[in-house]
Amino acid sequence: MALKVFSEEWIKAYKDAINKSAYRDAGKDWRAGPVSLVVLANPDIGLSQDVGIWLDLHEGVCREASVCDRQKASTAPFCITGEYSQWKQVLLKELDPIKGMMQGKLKLKGDLPTIVRYVKAAQELVNAASTLETEFLD
Amino acid sequence: MQYNERLQFIYTNPTKIVFGKGAVKEVGYEAEKLGGSRALVVTDTDLAKTDLVERVKTFLGKRCAGVFAEVVQDTGVHIVDKGAAYGKSIGADLVVSVGGGSSIDTGKGIAILLKEGGKLHDYAAQFNALTRPQTPHIVIPTTAGTGSEVTYAAVIKDHERKQKLLVVDYNIIPNVGILDPEMTAGMPPRLTAATGMDALTHAIEAIHSAQCEPISDAMALHAIRLIHTYLPIAVARGGDLVARGQMLIAACIAGVAFSNAQVGVVHALAHSVGARCGVPHGVANSILLPYGMSFNKDTCPDRYALVAEALGISRAGISDEEASSRAIEEIKRFSSSIGLPQRLREVQVPKEILRELAELSLYDGSLVYNPKPAFDADLLEKILEEAW
Repeated sequence: MALKVFSEEWIKAYKDAINKSAYRDAGKDWRAGPVSLVVLANPDIGLSQDVGIWLDLHEGVCREASVCDRQKASTAPFCITGEYSQWKQVLLKELDPIKGMMQGKLKLKGDLPTIVRYVKAAQELVNAASTLETEFLD
Repeated sequence: MQYNERLQFIYTNPTKIVFGKGAVKEVGYEAEKLGGSRALVVTDTDLAKTDLVERVKTFLGKRCAGVFAEVVQDTGVHIVDKGAAYGKSIGADLVVSVGGGSSIDTGKGIAILLKEGGKLHDYAAQFNALTRPQTPHIVIPTTAGTGSEVTYAAVIKDHERKQKLLVVDYNIIPNVGILDPEMTAGMPPRLTAATGMDALTHAIEAIHSAQCEPISDAMALHAIRLIHTYLPIAVARGGDLVARGQMLIAACIAGVAFSNAQVGVVHALAHSVGARCGVPHGVANSILLPYGMSFNKDTCPDRYALVAEALGISRAGISDEEASSRAIEEIKRFSSSIGLPQRLREVQVPKEILRELAELSLYDGSLVYNPKPAFDADLLEKILEEAW
Protein backbone atom coordinates (compact mmCIF):
# COMPACT_ATOMS: atom_id res chain seq x y z
CA MET A 1 0.00 0.00 0.00
CA ALA A 2 1.32 3.40 -0.93
CA LEU A 3 2.20 5.64 2.00
CA LYS A 4 1.53 9.35 1.96
CA VAL A 5 4.85 11.12 1.51
CA PHE A 6 6.36 12.75 4.63
CA SER A 7 3.66 11.22 6.89
CA GLU A 8 4.57 9.46 10.16
CA GLU A 9 4.03 6.09 8.46
CA TRP A 10 6.17 7.01 5.50
CA ILE A 11 8.99 8.19 7.72
CA LYS A 12 8.87 5.00 9.80
CA ALA A 13 9.02 2.93 6.62
CA TYR A 14 11.86 5.13 5.41
CA LYS A 15 13.86 4.38 8.55
CA ASP A 16 13.42 0.66 7.96
CA ALA A 17 14.38 1.04 4.31
CA ILE A 18 17.56 2.92 5.24
CA ASN A 19 18.56 0.23 7.68
CA LYS A 20 18.12 -2.48 5.07
CA SER A 21 19.92 -0.56 2.34
CA ALA A 22 23.44 -0.04 1.03
CA TYR A 23 23.52 3.06 3.23
CA ARG A 24 24.73 0.82 6.04
CA ASP A 25 28.05 0.49 4.25
CA ALA A 26 28.22 3.92 2.54
CA GLY A 27 27.48 5.75 5.78
CA LYS A 28 29.42 3.53 8.15
CA ASP A 29 31.90 6.30 9.01
CA TRP A 30 29.27 9.00 9.51
CA ARG A 31 29.58 10.39 13.03
CA ALA A 32 28.66 14.00 12.29
CA GLY A 33 25.22 13.83 13.90
CA PRO A 34 21.58 13.97 12.86
CA VAL A 35 20.40 15.31 9.54
CA SER A 36 17.07 17.08 9.22
CA LEU A 37 15.08 17.73 6.09
CA VAL A 38 12.58 20.58 5.92
CA VAL A 39 9.78 20.56 3.37
CA LEU A 40 8.45 24.10 3.01
CA ALA A 41 4.74 24.70 3.41
CA ASN A 42 2.61 24.57 0.29
CA PRO A 43 -1.09 25.02 1.14
CA ASP A 44 -2.12 24.29 -2.46
CA ILE A 45 -1.28 20.62 -1.94
CA GLY A 46 -2.32 20.40 1.71
CA LEU A 47 0.98 21.22 3.38
CA SER A 48 -0.28 23.98 5.64
CA GLN A 49 3.02 24.33 7.50
CA ASP A 50 6.65 23.40 7.10
CA VAL A 51 7.34 19.72 7.78
CA GLY A 52 10.60 18.64 9.40
CA ILE A 53 12.03 15.14 9.16
CA TRP A 54 14.60 14.21 11.76
CA LEU A 55 17.04 11.47 10.81
CA ASP A 56 19.39 10.40 13.57
CA LEU A 57 22.12 8.82 11.46
CA HIS A 58 25.16 7.25 13.04
CA GLU A 59 27.74 4.84 11.63
CA GLY A 60 25.53 3.57 8.85
CA VAL A 61 22.41 3.17 10.97
CA CYS A 62 19.29 5.30 11.18
CA ARG A 63 18.67 5.22 14.93
CA GLU A 64 15.60 7.40 14.82
CA ALA A 65 13.38 8.93 12.17
CA SER A 66 10.52 11.20 13.11
CA VAL A 67 8.42 14.13 12.06
CA CYS A 68 9.40 17.36 13.79
CA ASP A 69 8.65 21.04 13.57
CA ARG A 70 10.88 23.48 11.78
CA GLN A 71 12.35 24.78 15.00
CA LYS A 72 13.63 21.39 16.06
CA ALA A 73 14.80 20.60 12.54
CA SER A 74 16.95 23.72 12.56
CA THR A 75 18.88 22.43 15.57
CA ALA A 76 20.33 19.48 13.66
CA PRO A 77 23.99 19.87 12.64
CA PHE A 78 22.83 19.44 9.05
CA CYS A 79 19.52 20.94 8.02
CA ILE A 80 18.49 20.80 4.36
CA THR A 81 15.50 22.89 3.31
CA GLY A 82 13.59 22.87 0.08
CA GLU A 83 10.26 23.28 -1.64
CA TYR A 84 8.00 20.23 -1.93
CA SER A 85 8.57 20.11 -5.68
CA GLN A 86 12.35 19.88 -5.21
CA TRP A 87 12.05 17.11 -2.62
CA LYS A 88 9.72 15.24 -4.93
CA GLN A 89 12.38 15.45 -7.63
CA VAL A 90 14.92 14.09 -5.16
CA LEU A 91 12.68 11.16 -4.23
CA LEU A 92 12.07 10.40 -7.89
CA LYS A 93 15.86 10.50 -8.40
CA GLU A 94 15.49 13.35 -10.86
CA LEU A 95 17.59 15.67 -8.68
CA ASP A 96 20.82 14.62 -7.01
CA PRO A 97 20.61 16.08 -3.48
CA ILE A 98 24.23 17.26 -3.41
CA LYS A 99 23.88 18.94 -6.79
CA GLY A 100 20.57 20.39 -5.65
CA MET A 101 22.37 22.06 -2.75
CA MET A 102 25.09 23.39 -4.98
CA GLN A 103 22.54 24.76 -7.43
CA GLY A 104 20.64 26.50 -4.66
CA LYS A 105 17.51 24.37 -5.12
CA LEU A 106 18.03 22.96 -1.64
CA LYS A 107 19.44 25.12 1.12
CA LEU A 108 21.96 23.63 3.50
CA LYS A 109 22.72 24.78 6.99
CA GLY A 110 25.75 22.77 7.97
CA ASP A 111 29.22 21.97 6.75
CA LEU A 112 29.11 21.25 3.02
CA PRO A 113 32.55 19.58 2.84
CA THR A 114 31.37 16.97 5.34
CA ILE A 115 28.28 16.28 3.25
CA VAL A 116 30.39 16.12 0.10
CA ARG A 117 32.65 13.54 1.71
CA TYR A 118 29.59 11.32 2.07
CA VAL A 119 28.13 11.83 -1.38
CA LYS A 120 27.70 8.06 -1.87
CA ALA A 121 25.88 7.83 1.46
CA ALA A 122 23.56 10.66 0.40
CA GLN A 123 22.80 8.81 -2.80
CA GLU A 124 22.04 5.64 -0.87
CA LEU A 125 19.63 7.57 1.36
CA VAL A 126 17.80 8.64 -1.77
CA ASN A 127 17.92 5.12 -3.16
CA ALA A 128 16.36 3.85 0.07
CA ALA A 129 13.55 6.40 -0.20
CA SER A 130 12.89 5.43 -3.78
CA THR A 131 12.20 1.83 -2.74
CA LEU A 132 9.10 2.98 -0.84
CA GLU A 133 5.72 2.88 -2.47
CA THR A 134 4.94 6.56 -2.13
CA GLU A 135 1.76 8.55 -2.62
CA PHE A 136 2.71 12.12 -3.49
CA LEU A 137 0.61 15.09 -2.52
CA ASP A 138 0.10 16.48 -6.03
CA MET B 1 28.80 13.36 -22.89
CA GLN B 2 26.91 14.41 -25.99
CA TYR B 3 23.86 16.53 -25.22
CA ASN B 4 20.59 14.71 -25.69
CA GLU B 5 16.88 15.20 -25.03
CA ARG B 6 17.50 14.89 -21.28
CA LEU B 7 19.52 18.11 -21.17
CA GLN B 8 18.25 20.35 -18.37
CA PHE B 9 20.06 23.26 -16.79
CA ILE B 10 19.73 26.58 -15.04
CA TYR B 11 21.90 29.40 -16.27
CA THR B 12 22.48 32.48 -14.11
CA ASN B 13 24.53 35.53 -14.95
CA PRO B 14 23.16 38.62 -13.21
CA THR B 15 26.31 40.78 -13.08
CA LYS B 16 26.35 43.91 -15.19
CA ILE B 17 29.69 44.22 -16.97
CA VAL B 18 31.20 47.59 -17.86
CA PHE B 19 34.29 47.17 -20.03
CA GLY B 20 36.87 49.47 -21.58
CA LYS B 21 40.02 51.45 -21.15
CA GLY B 22 39.20 54.04 -18.53
CA ALA B 23 35.96 52.26 -17.55
CA VAL B 24 36.83 52.83 -13.90
CA LYS B 25 35.50 56.35 -14.27
CA GLU B 26 32.01 54.81 -14.47
CA VAL B 27 32.18 53.70 -10.84
CA GLY B 28 30.38 56.81 -9.57
CA TYR B 29 27.57 56.40 -12.07
CA GLU B 30 27.19 52.72 -11.25
CA ALA B 31 27.20 53.49 -7.53
CA GLU B 32 24.41 55.97 -8.08
CA LYS B 33 22.40 53.46 -10.13
CA LEU B 34 22.67 51.01 -7.25
CA GLY B 35 21.43 53.64 -4.81
CA GLY B 36 24.73 53.80 -2.97
CA SER B 37 25.64 57.10 -1.39
CA ARG B 38 28.30 55.89 1.06
CA ALA B 39 30.72 53.49 -0.57
CA LEU B 40 33.22 51.41 1.33
CA VAL B 41 36.26 50.72 -0.85
CA VAL B 42 37.82 47.35 -0.01
CA THR B 43 41.35 46.69 -1.18
CA ASP B 44 44.67 45.17 -0.19
CA THR B 45 47.62 46.68 1.58
CA ASP B 46 49.83 46.77 -1.53
CA LEU B 47 47.27 48.22 -3.91
CA ALA B 48 46.47 50.94 -1.41
CA LYS B 49 49.97 52.29 -2.04
CA THR B 50 49.36 52.60 -5.79
CA ASP B 51 47.33 55.16 -7.69
CA LEU B 52 44.72 52.54 -8.65
CA VAL B 53 42.74 53.04 -5.47
CA GLU B 54 43.12 56.80 -5.75
CA ARG B 55 41.51 56.62 -9.18
CA VAL B 56 38.55 54.76 -7.77
CA LYS B 57 38.20 57.25 -4.93
CA THR B 58 38.37 60.14 -7.37
CA PHE B 59 35.64 58.74 -9.58
CA LEU B 60 33.44 57.87 -6.62
CA GLY B 61 33.79 61.45 -5.44
CA LYS B 62 31.58 62.30 -2.48
CA ARG B 63 30.18 58.79 -2.53
CA CYS B 64 33.44 57.42 -1.14
CA ALA B 65 32.81 57.12 2.60
CA GLY B 66 36.03 55.28 3.44
CA VAL B 67 38.73 52.85 2.39
CA PHE B 68 39.42 49.55 4.10
CA ALA B 69 42.88 48.55 2.92
CA GLU B 70 43.76 45.60 5.13
CA VAL B 71 43.18 42.68 2.80
CA VAL B 72 46.10 40.26 2.48
CA GLN B 73 46.71 37.21 0.27
CA ASP B 74 44.42 34.44 1.54
CA THR B 75 42.07 36.87 3.20
CA GLY B 76 40.79 35.97 6.64
CA VAL B 77 37.58 35.81 8.62
CA HIS B 78 39.02 38.36 11.03
CA ILE B 79 39.72 40.73 8.13
CA VAL B 80 36.15 40.46 6.86
CA ASP B 81 34.76 41.04 10.36
CA LYS B 82 37.03 44.04 10.83
CA GLY B 83 36.13 45.49 7.43
CA ALA B 84 32.43 45.08 8.14
CA ALA B 85 32.78 46.77 11.52
CA TYR B 86 34.52 49.67 9.83
CA GLY B 87 31.86 49.77 7.13
CA LYS B 88 29.11 49.94 9.72
CA SER B 89 30.93 52.71 11.58
CA ILE B 90 30.93 54.89 8.47
CA GLY B 91 27.36 54.00 7.46
CA ALA B 92 28.39 52.19 4.27
CA ASP B 93 25.56 51.21 1.95
CA LEU B 94 27.69 50.00 -0.95
CA VAL B 95 30.87 47.92 -1.27
CA VAL B 96 33.41 48.64 -4.00
CA SER B 97 36.15 46.03 -4.05
CA VAL B 98 39.35 46.78 -5.90
CA GLY B 99 41.93 44.03 -6.36
CA GLY B 100 42.30 40.32 -7.01
CA GLY B 101 40.28 37.41 -5.69
CA SER B 102 41.20 38.08 -2.08
CA SER B 103 39.87 41.64 -2.08
CA ILE B 104 36.76 40.68 -4.02
CA ASP B 105 35.98 37.78 -1.70
CA THR B 106 36.51 40.07 1.29
CA GLY B 107 34.05 42.47 -0.31
CA LYS B 108 31.51 39.68 -0.69
CA GLY B 109 31.87 38.80 2.99
CA ILE B 110 31.54 42.43 4.07
CA ALA B 111 28.47 42.84 1.85
CA ILE B 112 26.79 40.03 3.82
CA LEU B 113 27.67 41.40 7.24
CA LEU B 114 26.59 44.94 6.39
CA LYS B 115 23.17 43.58 5.45
CA GLU B 116 22.63 40.72 7.87
CA GLY B 117 24.82 41.64 10.83
CA GLY B 118 26.81 39.17 12.92
CA LYS B 119 30.20 37.67 12.12
CA LEU B 120 31.31 35.84 9.02
CA HIS B 121 31.42 32.52 10.86
CA ASP B 122 27.63 32.76 11.19
CA TYR B 123 27.36 32.38 7.40
CA ALA B 124 30.21 30.02 6.59
CA ALA B 125 28.41 26.83 7.61
CA GLN B 126 25.56 27.46 5.19
CA PHE B 127 24.99 26.86 1.56
CA ASN B 128 22.67 29.08 -0.45
CA ALA B 129 20.87 29.94 2.79
CA LEU B 130 20.64 33.74 2.44
CA THR B 131 17.12 34.81 1.62
CA ARG B 132 17.59 38.27 0.12
CA PRO B 133 19.99 40.35 -1.97
CA GLN B 134 22.99 41.58 0.00
CA THR B 135 24.60 45.01 0.16
CA PRO B 136 25.18 46.26 -3.41
CA HIS B 137 28.68 45.38 -4.58
CA ILE B 138 30.77 46.78 -7.42
CA VAL B 139 33.93 44.88 -8.32
CA ILE B 140 36.96 46.34 -10.08
CA PRO B 141 39.44 43.51 -10.73
CA THR B 142 43.16 44.26 -10.90
CA THR B 143 44.02 40.71 -11.93
CA ALA B 144 42.57 38.60 -14.74
CA GLY B 145 41.95 35.14 -13.40
CA THR B 146 39.46 34.49 -10.64
CA GLY B 147 36.35 35.75 -12.40
CA SER B 148 35.12 36.47 -8.90
CA GLU B 149 33.22 39.50 -10.19
CA VAL B 150 30.62 37.09 -11.57
CA THR B 151 30.72 34.15 -9.18
CA TYR B 152 28.62 33.16 -6.18
CA ALA B 153 31.43 31.96 -3.94
CA ALA B 154 33.93 33.53 -1.58
CA VAL B 155 36.90 31.67 -0.13
CA ILE B 156 37.94 33.12 3.21
CA LYS B 157 40.48 31.61 5.54
CA ASP B 158 40.08 31.06 9.24
CA HIS B 159 43.72 31.73 10.09
CA GLU B 160 43.29 30.60 13.68
CA ARG B 161 41.94 27.18 12.73
CA LYS B 162 43.97 27.03 9.51
CA GLN B 163 40.84 26.26 7.48
CA LYS B 164 39.54 27.76 4.28
CA LEU B 165 35.85 28.57 4.61
CA LEU B 166 33.61 28.59 1.62
CA VAL B 167 30.73 31.04 1.55
CA VAL B 168 28.46 30.10 -1.32
CA ASP B 169 25.22 31.86 -2.13
CA TYR B 170 23.57 33.26 -5.24
CA ASN B 171 22.78 36.38 -3.22
CA ILE B 172 26.48 37.34 -3.08
CA ILE B 173 27.04 37.56 -6.83
CA PRO B 174 28.29 41.12 -7.34
CA ASN B 175 25.98 43.59 -9.04
CA VAL B 176 28.53 45.25 -11.31
CA GLY B 177 31.96 44.31 -12.64
CA ILE B 178 34.03 47.13 -14.08
CA LEU B 179 36.70 45.65 -16.34
CA ASP B 180 39.29 48.30 -17.10
CA PRO B 181 42.49 47.05 -18.77
CA GLU B 182 44.43 49.95 -17.26
CA MET B 183 43.69 48.54 -13.81
CA THR B 184 45.60 45.33 -14.64
CA ALA B 185 48.47 46.82 -16.64
CA GLY B 186 50.83 46.92 -13.69
CA MET B 187 50.49 43.24 -12.83
CA PRO B 188 53.91 41.49 -12.87
CA PRO B 189 54.54 38.72 -15.44
CA ARG B 190 54.47 35.79 -13.02
CA LEU B 191 51.18 36.89 -11.46
CA THR B 192 49.77 37.56 -14.92
CA ALA B 193 50.72 34.04 -16.01
CA ALA B 194 49.40 32.32 -12.88
CA THR B 195 46.09 34.16 -12.80
CA GLY B 196 45.66 33.61 -16.53
CA MET B 197 46.14 29.86 -16.07
CA ASP B 198 43.57 29.98 -13.29
CA ALA B 199 41.10 31.37 -15.84
CA LEU B 200 42.08 28.69 -18.37
CA THR B 201 41.47 26.02 -15.73
CA HIS B 202 38.04 27.49 -14.98
CA ALA B 203 37.19 27.33 -18.67
CA ILE B 204 38.41 23.78 -19.26
CA GLU B 205 36.84 22.45 -16.08
CA ALA B 206 33.54 24.05 -17.10
CA ILE B 207 33.82 22.17 -20.41
CA HIS B 208 34.43 18.77 -18.82
CA SER B 209 32.06 19.29 -15.86
CA ALA B 210 29.24 16.82 -15.39
CA GLN B 211 26.99 19.90 -15.31
CA CYS B 212 28.23 21.37 -18.59
CA GLU B 213 25.65 23.02 -20.82
CA PRO B 214 25.74 24.84 -24.15
CA ILE B 215 25.69 28.44 -22.85
CA SER B 216 28.59 27.85 -20.51
CA ASP B 217 30.35 25.93 -23.27
CA ALA B 218 30.19 28.99 -25.49
CA MET B 219 31.64 31.18 -22.75
CA ALA B 220 34.35 28.70 -21.84
CA LEU B 221 35.46 27.92 -25.37
CA HIS B 222 35.82 31.59 -26.22
CA ALA B 223 37.72 32.15 -22.98
CA ILE B 224 40.15 29.40 -24.03
CA ARG B 225 40.67 31.05 -27.42
CA LEU B 226 41.29 34.45 -25.84
CA ILE B 227 43.68 33.11 -23.21
CA HIS B 228 45.64 31.08 -25.75
CA THR B 229 46.08 34.16 -27.89
CA TYR B 230 46.48 36.96 -25.40
CA LEU B 231 48.01 35.56 -22.22
CA PRO B 232 51.51 35.20 -23.70
CA ILE B 233 51.29 38.82 -24.91
CA ALA B 234 50.11 40.08 -21.52
CA VAL B 235 52.96 38.21 -19.83
CA ALA B 236 55.58 39.51 -22.26
CA ARG B 237 54.27 43.07 -22.56
CA GLY B 238 52.30 44.04 -19.52
CA GLY B 239 51.43 47.44 -20.92
CA ASP B 240 49.62 46.00 -23.95
CA LEU B 241 46.10 47.13 -23.12
CA VAL B 242 44.51 45.05 -25.87
CA ALA B 243 45.94 41.87 -24.36
CA ARG B 244 45.08 43.05 -20.84
CA GLY B 245 41.52 43.81 -21.86
CA GLN B 246 41.01 40.52 -23.66
CA MET B 247 42.38 38.66 -20.63
CA LEU B 248 39.93 40.49 -18.36
CA ILE B 249 37.12 39.41 -20.65
CA ALA B 250 38.45 35.85 -20.77
CA ALA B 251 38.64 35.61 -16.98
CA CYS B 252 35.14 37.06 -16.67
CA ILE B 253 33.47 34.71 -19.13
CA ALA B 254 35.40 31.73 -17.77
CA GLY B 255 34.00 32.79 -14.39
CA VAL B 256 30.48 32.84 -15.78
CA ALA B 257 31.08 29.42 -17.34
CA PHE B 258 32.33 27.69 -14.22
CA SER B 259 29.90 29.46 -11.95
CA ASN B 260 27.16 27.73 -13.91
CA ALA B 261 28.79 24.48 -15.01
CA GLN B 262 31.06 24.12 -11.93
CA VAL B 263 34.58 22.75 -11.79
CA GLY B 264 36.07 19.34 -11.09
CA VAL B 265 39.01 17.31 -9.89
CA VAL B 266 41.67 19.87 -10.80
CA HIS B 267 40.16 22.45 -8.46
CA ALA B 268 39.55 19.89 -5.73
CA LEU B 269 43.25 19.01 -5.74
CA ALA B 270 44.43 22.59 -6.21
CA HIS B 271 42.42 23.74 -3.20
CA SER B 272 44.18 21.15 -1.03
CA VAL B 273 47.62 21.98 -2.43
CA GLY B 274 46.93 25.66 -1.76
CA ALA B 275 45.55 25.19 1.73
CA ARG B 276 48.22 22.75 2.92
CA CYS B 277 51.32 23.97 1.07
CA GLY B 278 50.58 27.63 0.36
CA VAL B 279 50.93 27.23 -3.39
CA PRO B 280 49.12 30.10 -5.15
CA HIS B 281 45.81 28.92 -6.59
CA GLY B 282 46.64 29.75 -10.20
CA VAL B 283 49.99 27.96 -10.02
CA ALA B 284 48.44 24.87 -8.45
CA ASN B 285 45.71 24.80 -11.09
CA SER B 286 48.25 25.28 -13.85
CA ILE B 287 50.37 22.34 -12.71
CA LEU B 288 47.44 20.00 -12.06
CA LEU B 289 45.30 20.82 -15.12
CA PRO B 290 46.96 18.45 -17.63
CA TYR B 291 47.06 15.62 -15.10
CA GLY B 292 43.41 16.07 -14.17
CA MET B 293 42.55 16.04 -17.88
CA SER B 294 44.58 12.86 -18.40
CA PHE B 295 42.60 11.24 -15.60
CA ASN B 296 39.30 12.24 -17.23
CA LYS B 297 40.32 11.72 -20.83
CA ASP B 298 38.70 8.34 -21.38
CA THR B 299 35.38 9.64 -20.03
CA CYS B 300 35.02 12.81 -22.09
CA PRO B 301 37.29 12.79 -25.15
CA ASP B 302 34.61 14.62 -27.14
CA ARG B 303 34.75 17.50 -24.66
CA TYR B 304 38.53 17.73 -24.79
CA ALA B 305 38.35 17.63 -28.58
CA LEU B 306 36.43 20.91 -28.30
CA VAL B 307 39.18 22.25 -26.06
CA ALA B 308 41.78 21.16 -28.61
CA GLU B 309 39.97 23.06 -31.33
CA ALA B 310 39.82 26.19 -29.16
CA LEU B 311 43.55 25.82 -28.57
CA GLY B 312 44.09 25.99 -32.33
CA ILE B 313 44.71 22.27 -32.87
CA SER B 314 43.32 20.95 -36.13
CA ARG B 315 40.96 18.02 -35.64
CA ALA B 316 41.08 17.02 -39.27
CA GLY B 317 41.66 13.30 -39.58
CA ILE B 318 42.23 12.63 -35.89
CA SER B 319 40.02 10.95 -33.32
CA ASP B 320 38.63 12.68 -30.25
CA GLU B 321 41.06 10.67 -28.16
CA GLU B 322 44.02 11.89 -30.18
CA ALA B 323 42.71 15.47 -30.06
CA SER B 324 42.44 15.15 -26.28
CA SER B 325 46.03 14.01 -26.00
CA ARG B 326 47.20 16.88 -28.16
CA ALA B 327 45.20 19.36 -26.06
CA ILE B 328 46.88 18.07 -22.90
CA GLU B 329 50.33 18.37 -24.46
CA GLU B 330 49.54 21.86 -25.71
CA ILE B 331 48.53 22.97 -22.22
CA LYS B 332 51.84 21.74 -20.83
CA ARG B 333 53.74 23.55 -23.58
CA PHE B 334 51.68 26.69 -23.09
CA SER B 335 52.14 26.97 -19.32
CA SER B 336 55.85 26.26 -19.69
CA SER B 337 56.15 28.95 -22.36
CA ILE B 338 54.83 31.59 -19.96
CA GLY B 339 57.31 30.59 -17.29
CA LEU B 340 55.17 28.59 -14.88
CA PRO B 341 56.37 25.53 -12.96
CA GLN B 342 55.39 22.15 -14.36
CA ARG B 343 55.59 19.90 -11.34
CA LEU B 344 54.40 19.98 -7.75
CA ARG B 345 57.94 19.26 -6.56
CA GLU B 346 59.06 22.55 -8.15
CA VAL B 347 56.75 24.44 -5.80
CA GLN B 348 58.01 22.62 -2.71
CA VAL B 349 55.15 20.21 -2.24
CA PRO B 350 56.69 17.32 -0.24
CA LYS B 351 56.06 13.90 -1.77
CA GLU B 352 55.30 12.49 1.67
CA ILE B 353 52.08 14.49 1.98
CA LEU B 354 50.47 13.52 -1.32
CA ARG B 355 48.26 10.97 0.42
CA GLU B 356 47.16 13.60 2.94
CA LEU B 357 46.37 15.99 0.09
CA ALA B 358 44.33 13.30 -1.65
CA GLU B 359 42.30 12.62 1.46
CA LEU B 360 41.75 16.33 2.09
CA SER B 361 40.45 16.69 -1.48
CA LEU B 362 37.67 14.19 -0.77
CA TYR B 363 35.96 16.98 1.19
CA ASP B 364 35.91 19.37 -1.76
CA GLY B 365 32.59 20.04 -3.46
CA SER B 366 34.30 20.35 -6.83
CA LEU B 367 34.57 16.56 -7.01
CA VAL B 368 30.81 16.30 -7.29
CA TYR B 369 30.94 17.62 -10.84
CA ASN B 370 33.98 15.80 -12.15
CA PRO B 371 32.98 13.86 -15.26
CA LYS B 372 34.63 10.69 -13.97
CA PRO B 373 33.88 9.52 -10.42
CA ALA B 374 36.82 10.56 -8.29
CA PHE B 375 35.69 10.02 -4.70
CA ASP B 376 38.60 7.70 -4.05
CA ALA B 377 41.79 8.72 -2.27
CA ASP B 378 43.83 6.17 -4.25
CA LEU B 379 42.78 7.71 -7.57
CA LEU B 380 43.46 11.23 -6.36
CA GLU B 381 46.83 10.28 -4.95
CA LYS B 382 47.78 8.79 -8.31
CA ILE B 383 46.97 12.07 -10.08
CA LEU B 384 49.06 13.95 -7.53
CA GLU B 385 51.95 11.53 -7.95
CA GLU B 386 51.88 12.02 -11.69
CA ALA B 387 51.89 15.79 -11.22
CA TRP B 388 54.67 15.62 -8.66
